[in-house]
This record gives sequence, C-alpha cells and structure tokens, in this order.
Amino acid sequence: VTVAEVLAEAGAARTQAVQVGGPSGVCLAAHEFGRRIAFDDVPTAGAFMVFDETRDMFEVARGFSHFFAHESCGFCTPCRVGTELVRRRFDKLAQGHGSPFDQAELQALEDLLHGTTHCGLGASATNPLRDTLVRFPQAYASRVSSPHFVPGFDLDAELASARRVTGRDDRGAHLDQHG
Amino acid sequence: MSDSFDLDGVPVSFEPGDTLMAAAERAGHAIPHLCWHPALGQSGACRLCTVRVDGRLTSACTTRAGAGQVVECRSADLDARRRMLVQLMFVEGNHFCPGCEKSGDCRLQDAGYAFGVTGPGFEEFYPHRPVDASHPDIWLDLNRCILCKLCVRASREVDGKGVFAIGGHGVHTHVLVDSATGLLGDSELAASDLAAHICPVGAILPKRRGFAVPVGARPADAREAPPDPEPSHE
Repeated sequence: VTVAEVLAEAGAARTQAVQVGGPSGVCLAAHEFGRRIAFDDVPTAGAFMVFDETRDMFEVARGFSHFFAHESCGFCTPCRVGTELVRRRFDKLAQGHGSPFDQAELQALEDLLHGTTHCGLGASATNPLRDTLVRFPQAYASRVSSPHFVPGFDLDAELASARRVTGRDDRGAHLDQHG
Repeated sequence: MSDSFDLDGVPVSFEPGDTLMAAAERAGHAIPHLCWHPALGQSGACRLCTVRVDGRLTSACTTRAGAGQVVECRSADLDARRRMLVQLMFVEGNHFCPGCEKSGDCRLQDAGYAFGVTGPGFEEFYPHRPVDASHPDIWLDLNRCILCKLCVRASREVDGKGVFAIGGHGVHTHVLVDSATGLLGDSELAASDLAAHICPVGAILPKRRGFAVPVGARPADAREAPPDPEPSHE
C-alpha cells in the first residue's frame, strides 16, 4: 500500500509531510507519497503522522529533538551529549539566533550520531533532523538570520547586572548593537 | 596457530571469545579508549574505540574478534569522530585542566591532544555539581566525571562492594554513591579499593596529595609534544 493510499483512506488533505515509523522513522515529502509501506521501502511499526501545509516542519523537527534529548538514557557519550546539543541548537535557531554555522554544526552532530552510539535510539535520534534538512531546507533557511555567527545569548542583556551595580543606564553603558 | 584479524593493515591474533580491544591491547596495539580496562567487564560507554569492521561502524571493546575481519581504526574520518566525542566530554562537565591535580596524567587530556582538540567546539554546559569531600581519604569531584563507569565496575567486580552506581538519564546522568546520605564518607569505599584509583580523569582522587609529581615531570611531559593541529573553525 502506498503512502498516498493511506492518506486518501484517512481523508487527509493538503498534506505537506508524513512521518512513518515514529520519530526514529522516515519523514517523507509530497513528491514521495507514491512510495510503499513495506519493509523494503518505507518500514513502519504502525505509526503514521500526517502534517498538513499549515505545519512548520522546522518546529516538528525541533519537537522531536526535545523528545530524543529527554529519551536518551545517558549511557554513551555521543547520544547523551549529542542529543542535548542538537536540542540546544534547534532552540537557538528558533529564537532567531541562527547562522549557517549552526546548521553546519547540526549536520556534524548528525554525522556523529549515525554510527558511534551504543544503541539504535541514538543512531536514529537525528533522523528527523536529517530528513527535514534535505526535504524542507526553506524551513531552516528562514531561521538563519545572519550569514555571520550569531551568539546564542544577548550580549547587551548580559551587562544588565554591571549596569545595576554601577547605577548607569546611559547610552555609553550599552553595547552598540550595530557597530 | 590462532586466528587473526587485520587492524589497520597489521595482523592481530586472538583467542576465542576475545573482543577486538582485548586482543589488540594484549598484542601491544593501541585502540583509543577511555572506558575499557583489561581487568574489568566491557562497557561501551565512551565510544572512542569506534572502529570500522568490514565496513561497519562498531565499538572495538564490545565486538567479538573474528577470523579474517578487516578492522579500520586510525583513519582520518574515525579520528575526526573521536575528536568530536572528546569535545562532547569536555563541554558536558567542568574540566579546568590548569587547576586539576590529574593534569599531565589524565586520559581525557591525553585524548584531547591525541585527536587535535584545540577548543571546546560546542558551548559548555557548565553543570552545577558540588564536590563531595566527606570521605577521609578520597575526593569525589563529579565536575570532572566523564561517566566511563570504571569506578562502578571496579567497585562491584573487584572490590566486591558496589559503592558507585549510575543514576538519572540523558544529560542528567550522574554517578551515585551507595550510602544512606549519598555521601562518599558514609560509604564502604576504602582508600585501598581499586575503585578509588581507577578514575581516568580527576573525579576520584586521593586527598592530601598535591603536586607530588611536579608539572614538567608528569607522564604527559615525557612524551613528545604533538604537532600543532590544523587550525579549525574553533
């Protein structure tokens, strides 16, 4: 049975993506809905998530990154630390501090987790990242605010305690954000 | 004649039941590792020993040796993964080498040099981990813990005590001490235990020992300094 047939039976409309086999499974875009649910093509344990055009696939992948960071048992280094770094990087992009640097780092973590983890959870923890990066690059591109590296924190806001201590709040006590 | 496998082009013989790591280390070949110890059961936690066996990535310390296997260990892409794994261990804890008694004799530091770690690479987590100084002879500073579980295994398998265990999950995984208060001073740990000496980093250290071996004369000082690695984005 093809993905399109399942969608038709379920009455799904304006479908943007389908996640087959749960978070560790495969994310398919519309042009792949002719593929078959089968061990040899799109394997599944029964889970079938449908996302219509109103859904933001970056947010979908970010949600899965939180899921895996929480699910990691913490036994091996790449999964314990890697899933947390992926989660943090997704959150950084979501907060508008993204740059191509962050996307390259996500890709590097993706490469590390495939192959070095102790078990399959870690090995598949970045599947949603991998699949959505390839299929929905525009969802990520809209998060990349600058071609240059952007720190994950507000440098000027970090100086608030120093301003409080010195009783200053004039222009000179603030960083020039455009300098 | 015993069977053998190929480790980076060198034949390594093994006994039935050997892991790749056990056979290689016995024959004098080094496979990078932090959580493996010849006297203890295998773990597979640190993943530094990830090798390519007949084209498939796996950890050498948990994989049985087989006749004719082709094992790729020190290739550039595998060492690049090792560099990243070491960086992950550094950013996860609070590792301040200059102030650590273990500096110069530290397996994590050695790995950093060996794989060309020039910076953390990722943001440090700076976790809050209080030091446990309750034991009369032993410091427990989990800021430096890399969760290799050597102390857990040594205490259980060799000392026959089970002083240490692992609790929590994900990034909150941490070493637990088996005592009513959770403090090391109330546990059965003795200074002579293997668990008190097996830590590859500076998380479990004997008390009242500072600069017993001066900087400049520590094991790492005796080795030739590694060449400066290629500058990277770090």
